[in-house]
Amino acid sequence: MADTLDTVITEGKALPLGPYPRIVTKDFEVPGIDRIEVYRQHGGYAALAKALRDIPPDTLAEEVKKSGLRGRGGAGFATGVKWGFLPKTAPKPRYLAVNCDESEPGTFKDRMIMEVSPHLLVEGTILAAYATHVHHAFIYVRGELAFAGRQVERAVREAYDAGLIGKDILGSGFDLDVTVARGAGAYICGEESALMESLEGKRGYPRLKPPFPAVVGLYGGPTVINNAETVSTLPAIVTLGADAYTAYGTEKSKGTRIFCLSGHVERPGNYELPLGTPMRVLIEDFGGGVRGGKRLKAIIPGGSSTPFLLPEHLDTPLDFESVAAAGSMLGSGGVIVLDEDTCIVAAVLRMSEFYRDESCGKCTPCREGTFWLVQLLERLEHGEGKASDLDLLNDICDNIAGKVFCPLGDAATSSIVSSIKLFRDEYLHHVRAHGCLVGPGARKH
Amino acid sequence: MAEQPREDLVNLTIDGRPVSVPKGSLIWAAARKLGIEIPIYCYHPKMEPLGACRMCFVAVEKMPKLATACTTVVTEGMVVRTDTPAVKKGRQGTLEFLLINHPLDCPVCDKGGECDLQDFTLRHGPGGSRFDVSKRHFAKPIPVSEQILLDRERCIACQRCARFCQSVAMEDGLAMQERGFRTEVGVDPAAPFDSIFSGNVVEMCPVGALTAKSYRFVSRPWELKKTGSVCGLCSVGCNVRVDVRVDKVLRQYSRPNDDVDDGWLCDRGRWELDAINSQERLRTPLIRKDGLLQPASWDEAMRLVAGRLREIAERDGPGAVGGIGSTHTTNEEAYLFQKLLRAGLGTNNVDHHHGRFPAAAPGAVLPWAWTDSIAGLERASDILILGADPYHRQPIVDLRIRKAIRAGARVHIVTPEPNRLDRLAATVLRYTPGHTGEIARALLNVVTAEGLTRGEFAAQRAATVEARRASVANDTPEQVAETAGIESAALRALARDLAGAEAAVILYDEMATREPSGATLAADLLDLALLTGNFGRPGAGVGPLMEDNNSLGARDMGLLPDTLPGYRLVADQDARAALGAVWGATLVGEPGQTYEEMLGGGVKALYVLGADPARHLADAQLTHLNGFEFLVVQDMFLTETARRADVVLPAVAYTEKDGSFTNTERRVQRVRQAMQPLPGAKADWEILVGVARALGLSWRYLTPAEILSEIGRTVPLYAGASRRALGELGACWPLSPGARTPEGRPTVSGSPFLTWEMFERGVAPSGVSGATGAAGPELAVARGREE
Ligand SMILES: Cc1cc2nc3c(=O)[nH]c(=O)nc-3n(C[C@H](O)[C@H](O)[C@H](O)COP(=O)(O)O)c2cc1C
Ligand code: SF4
Ligand code: SF4
Ligand code: FES
Repeated sequence: MADTLDTVITEGKALPLGPYPRIVTKDFEVPGIDRIEVYRQHGGYAALAKALRDIPPDTLAEEVKKSGLRGRGGAGFATGVKWGFLPKTAPKPRYLAVNCDESEPGTFKDRMIMEVSPHLLVEGTILAAYATHVHHAFIYVRGELAFAGRQVERAVREAYDAGLIGKDILGSGFDLDVTVARGAGAYICGEESALMESLEGKRGYPRLKPPFPAVVGLYGGPTVINNAETVSTLPAIVTLGADAYTAYGTEKSKGTRIFCLSGHVERPGNYELPLGTPMRVLIEDFGGGVRGGKRLKAIIPGGSSTPFLLPEHLDTPLDFESVAAAGSMLGSGGVIVLDEDTCIVAAVLRMSEFYRDESCGKCTPCREGTFWLVQLLERLEHGEGKASDLDLLNDICDNIAGKVFCPLGDAATSSIVSSIKLFRDEYLHHVRAHGCLVGPGARKH
Repeated sequence: MAEQPREDLVNLTIDGRPVSVPKGSLIWAAARKLGIEIPIYCYHPKMEPLGACRMCFVAVEKMPKLATACTTVVTEGMVVRTDTPAVKKGRQGTLEFLLINHPLDCPVCDKGGECDLQDFTLRHGPGGSRFDVSKRHFAKPIPVSEQILLDRERCIACQRCARFCQSVAMEDGLAMQERGFRTEVGVDPAAPFDSIFSGNVVEMCPVGALTAKSYRFVSRPWELKKTGSVCGLCSVGCNVRVDVRVDKVLRQYSRPNDDVDDGWLCDRGRWELDAINSQERLRTPLIRKDGLLQPASWDEAMRLVAGRLREIAERDGPGAVGGIGSTHTTNEEAYLFQKLLRAGLGTNNVDHHHGRFPAAAPGAVLPWAWTDSIAGLERASDILILGADPYHRQPIVDLRIRKAIRAGARVHIVTPEPNRLDRLAATVLRYTPGHTGEIARALLNVVTAEGLTRGEFAAQRAATVEARRASVANDTPEQVAETAGIESAALRALARDLAGAEAAVILYDEMATREPSGATLAADLLDLALLTGNFGRPGAGVGPLMEDNNSLGARDMGLLPDTLPGYRLVADQDARAALGAVWGATLVGEPGQTYEEMLGGGVKALYVLGADPARHLADAQLTHLNGFEFLVVQDMFLTETARRADVVLPAVAYTEKDGSFTNTERRVQRVRQAMQPLPGAKADWEILVGVARALGLSWRYLTPAEILSEIGRTVPLYAGASRRALGELGACWPLSPGARTPEGRPTVSGSPFLTWEMFERGVAPSGVSGATGAAGPELAVARGREE
């Protein structure tokens, strides 16, 4: 395990990695690790071979349950438990869909996995399929990630050629086909049921639940949907064993996780750290602190869908429970740092535009509400708002959150509600001074 | 309907009121049962729950969030509230959202007054809006089809229209485009929205986003007089609401009758109502004077008709007069027409334009009607469409076939022309027009030659089966391939499919029987169904898809030269005596002249009611029409035939009178007067009563209801029929009187499907009482084959 500050090359940009134990990304700086020979030279596909040879599928699933692995897609649901929802028998074939749609603002870890070490993803996919008795897996890659998509497609081809996908894999009798599908540019298609619609060639609208995908999913068959990082963790769990894996992390948040550090820090990038690592370590030790020695203003700890935290939360351990206790969510692991010069209203406006534009339009509150919210934030940001707009924003958010069809709509309200709570004065300054408190648009009374 | 077993019921309370509903019901349906309105936009009871609009919020005890009543299935002991502050806020929130981008152009919106957005805002919405920024704008209405306009600003993106096109009509059409607040409904430019079912989206659209060109700016809903009736445009007989403004029918909307139309209408029924509103309609009787048809009074015209008919009948014998009846007029009118000829003029010379069905013969079985039902299609495993085009001719049957396909049915399309169902079919076979009969025989050939007969019926009749085998021994698929240009191997496979089907329905077009090869088509296909065991249960059966709205009723009512009402043979002494007693007349036992015989000059005086035989005559034969000594035509228009008449009597449209029609699935349904009759014209039944009186008959009918009651008393097939007993939804014959409702209303019970036993009992139109004779029932063709 690497224990020095290393870097990894992704699309020519040097990304620092930490001195903490790395188990998923351990070989990411090996040149050529994206090719099957190099990947195998570094122990790649050994976990698969071991599993196929020594571990029956149900035992493997049990092992994953024991590892405490929780989904890395955002909700943090225990992976082994989710697999357990699959019915024992079903009239239709069961499927695995690996969610590589990664579109949450502030999140770019799945992209790195696909671009740097696509075989890790493929090996994890095969292991997940094996453990869940699936014979056809789909890897759904976000449309905009053209390079990542090509890397995954090539890795799958190489794996087919090497007999690691296809019939009777490594003589185990296990058959698996893997299809790589590319999205067409919609955030909502990362939501598991919209992803299935998209895979089926339909418009990306989320589906009604129940039935849940584990029961009626892709093409009507029972379906497991796992995040790219989730499956990419499986080889490490097989290699180390569940017990060793649980040595990392906290009691309820086991193992390591790749945090995507972005915003106003010296060294933005992906850092694999044990869950429970204090946010300060990530931002200050790995990220080099706030850029240009500025003061920290706010942190969004889990992608744009999660509420703001304040500098006082810097020592919050990055695990599901602690971040929730601090009033936010660990979400997709996208830690966004905002410095003192950031206009909160502008930042919230920008994020709200994202949700307005990415709302699928299926349900009324999200479709219409985000449209309204953006207009109100726009006028506040431009100094044309009213003080009563804050209550109106809050009430619109109340009419959205918990009333929408899928979590996208809820997510659209997180930054607004939390920022009005934490930065009310800054909003009011916009009303009173007809301009921003800080940043290029700053205006005093 | 059978009582629901108790264990299949779920008990819950809504707003404190207990209710029991079948397992699997939605909260919305349970509330509806209690008369509690839960507002809905995206949900439509005929489509899967969607949960998109977020209008139907309710509070359910122990659920942390508000639930959508349209997606939440009831559970035992559930406690639902529709009136909590949270529910109100949720609904108000949704309505406020829906209205922020709405143009609020209600004063000029066709939907205003029957708009769910208006109505729910009034009942559940906020009184005002806090929206003080800019609305999204779209170009005002754009055409999405020849008949429909779309105003995207009014659209609330409920998806009803798009989902109807995709999942009910299963045709190209409207689809949701763009996303988020840019969402709009649209059509793929490469796939035009030309479905015959398109108008349903206008009716389903909860707002004024989709409007019909024909109705645009024509009326306000509250100016309409709305009458529940039955569509008169084809033999499906969809239940409709006729919307009339002053003296014009503006549209027909659905009046759901799940058994018939499942709540849908086709565009013909919805919009093709020009004939009723036409300026060309006749408004006065006409009498030929000095070679020209000239206006005359009703009195003069009816006297002249009666006088001339009587004169010719007395001079040349009753056989010198005859009548051609209609496939459009009501049962009551068809009944009176043949009664006038039989009882008033003493002749069986009465017929109409119809398919060729083997004539009645002792011992033969004559169920020349679909033995199953429209709703039964949903239970079929296989549906054969032979020489028929339901999409264009019986559209709502086509739509039901699509529903059957969704339920798993395999459809086999065997037609000369491409068919709209081809795309969804398991088998598609083409053949040379005119050869439908040969194809039916080839199917029978395979079934009998390969020993594929199934079921008790065939098992008990080895000799008949053998005779049948011999009779089609030469009609092999290979042979028929030569003459009919059909793929023989596929035809053979199709026969095997039908023989092996769990439940097959075989449908053909009534008029395919008129092809040169069609003489025994009806009988052959009936035998095919009987011999393959596809008979006598829902989802299995055979029959013709009839031509017009009352084609079957016309037959039922005895507009045939050889049968009395209810298919009793004129030769049947007992039947004649029974009817004669009621009618106060001695009836003739000799069959009369057929349609062709009468038109060919077999009679001197011809009374044509609601038909235009000129349409069916070759130019050379048209002169025959000039050759009658006396020709009366009773019609809404001055048809080709009427132009040649001596007297023309102006009739009214079906929307202007009461009565009943019998649709292609044998369903007898009430038609109700929806508007005043056109001044100067009269209903056919009224005219017939006038002519009968002028003939000196003591007919006293004051309303069609009285005539229907007489039919209910005298025609066993329609036993118990009456205006009140038929109720709102009608019933399929054979009818029998049912128990009275608690309110004392009489009822009839119908027969959704015909069984073999019905023929044995003689309940169904079994030609003659001999069906139960020593020989027992036999194959249609065995006895009644020859015309
Ligand atoms: C709007 C929305 C977008 C989402 N986008 C992603 C995504 O890009 N990648 C992802 O893995 N999960 C995404 N999710 C979460 C998925 O629905 C799902 O929970 C996840 O793929 C399950 O994988 P996991 O259990 O391994 O985390 C999204 C959810 C929502 C509501
Ligand atoms: S909340 Fe509604 S509109 Fe928004 S993305 Fe989900 S389903 Fe679509
Ligand atoms: S056009 Fe009408 S039916 Fe279609 S989505 Fe819009 S509101 Fe709904
Ligand atoms: S009617 Fe229930 S969500 Fe639309």
